[in-house]
Amino acid sequence: MESQDTKGKIVQETFPSEIVSIIGDILAGLILTLILLTFKSFLILIIIIPALLSLRGNLSGPFIARTSKDLIIGEFNSKSWIENVLSTYALSIVTACLIGIFSIMLDLFLIKKFIDKKIISMETLIIIPIIAILLTLSISIPTSTFLNYLAFRYGFNPNNVVNPIMTAVDDFFTVICFYFTLLMLGVP
Amino acid sequence: MDYFKKVFKESIFIVIISSFMGLLSGIFLSINEKIIYAIPIILLILPSLNSLIGDICTVLTSRLTTHLYIGSIPPKVQKSERLVQDFIGLLITILLSLLVLIILGFIIVISTGINIISPFLILFIIILTILSLFFCLFIFLFISSIYLFKKGKDPNNLLIPFVTSLADFLTPLLLITFIIIFI
Repeated sequence: MESQDTKGKIVQETFPSEIVSIIGDILAGLILTLILLTFKSFLILIIIIPALLSLRGNLSGPFIARTSKDLIIGEFNSKSWIENVLSTYALSIVTACLIGIFSIMLDLFLIKKFIDKKIISMETLIIIPIIAILLTLSISIPTSTFLNYLAFRYGFNPNNVVNPIMTAVDDFFTVICFYFTLLMLGVP
Repeated sequence: MDYFKKVFKESIFIVIISSFMGLLSGIFLSINEKIIYAIPIILLILPSLNSLIGDICTVLTSRLTTHLYIGSIPPKVQKSERLVQDFIGLLITILLSLLVLIILGFIIVISTGINIISPFLILFIIILTILSLFFCLFIFLFISSIYLFKKGKDPNNLLIPFVTSLADFLTPLLLITFIIIFI
C-alpha cells in the first residue's frame, strides 16, 4: 500500500481530509475565542489552551500512526491495541499534570494574579487539564480506531486519511471538553 | 505489557518536552497579543496554520516510518523515487490546502467587516512561513526518521509529538518575525 502510493494518490487522499481539518480548526478557533473571552481567568486559560491543543500531536497523532502502522504491517490485534490505548492514557495523565504544574508556576512567578487573589485554586489548575485531556481522548481513541479500520478496509491508506480528519475532531472536542471541564469545576 | 512499556518509554521524554513547548507557544502568543490583534486574519487562521503544518508533518512521519518498516525506503540518507513522490505529493497538498485556508480566512474577514492591512503582503508572509517550515521540517524528519529507525526506535513515538509541538511554536514565531520584518 504505502510503497505504491503515487504523488497523485497522496494528494487525492490527503487533501480532502485536510479540508475537513481546516474547517474544523477554524470552527474550533471561533468557538474558543467566543467561550474563553467570557471567563475571568482568561489570561491563565489562554496559556493552558495551546498546550492542550498540542495533545493531538503529543498523544493522538502517535496513537493513530501506531494503529495504522500495525494495520499495514499486519500486527494489529486486540492485545496491542489495548496496550496502545493504556500507554496513551498513561502519557496523557503525565502530560496533563505537567501542564497544570507549569501553569501554577507561571501564575505564581509571572502573572501573579489568579492564585494570589483566590480567583482560581492550585488544585483546579491541575485538575482542568487532566479532565479535559481524558474526556477528549475518550472521544478521540474510539473515533480514530474506527476511522483507521474503515480506511484500511476500504483500501485507503490510513496514514493519509485519518490524521488530518482527527486533527479537526481532536481540536474541536478539546475546546468543547475544556469548556465542559471549566463548567464542571465552576471556574470563574 | 511489552508494547505498553515500549510506547511509554519511547514517548515520555518527548511528550514532556512537547508539552513544555506548547506552553511556551501560549506565552509567546500572549506576549505578542498586540501584533496578533492588529492583524486579525493572522489570529483567525493561526490555529488552522498550526494544524496544517502539523498534519502534513504527521502524515510524512507516519509514511516515512511505514516505508522504513516495509523496506520501500532504504535506511540511508539518500534520494529515492519513493521520497520524491512523497515530497511532491505533500507539497501539492500543502499548497492546495493553503489556498483553501486563505480563501476561507478572507471570506470570514470580509463578512465580519474587519480591515485587512496590506492583503498581498499578508498573503506572501503566510505562504513564506508555511513553505519555509515545510522544506526545513521535511529534511529534518527524513534524516531523524532514518537515525531513529537505525537505533531500533519507532520514529512515530518520538517525531510526531516533537514536530507538531515544534510546528505549533515555530508557526507563530516565523509569522510574527516576518510581520516585523516586512510590515
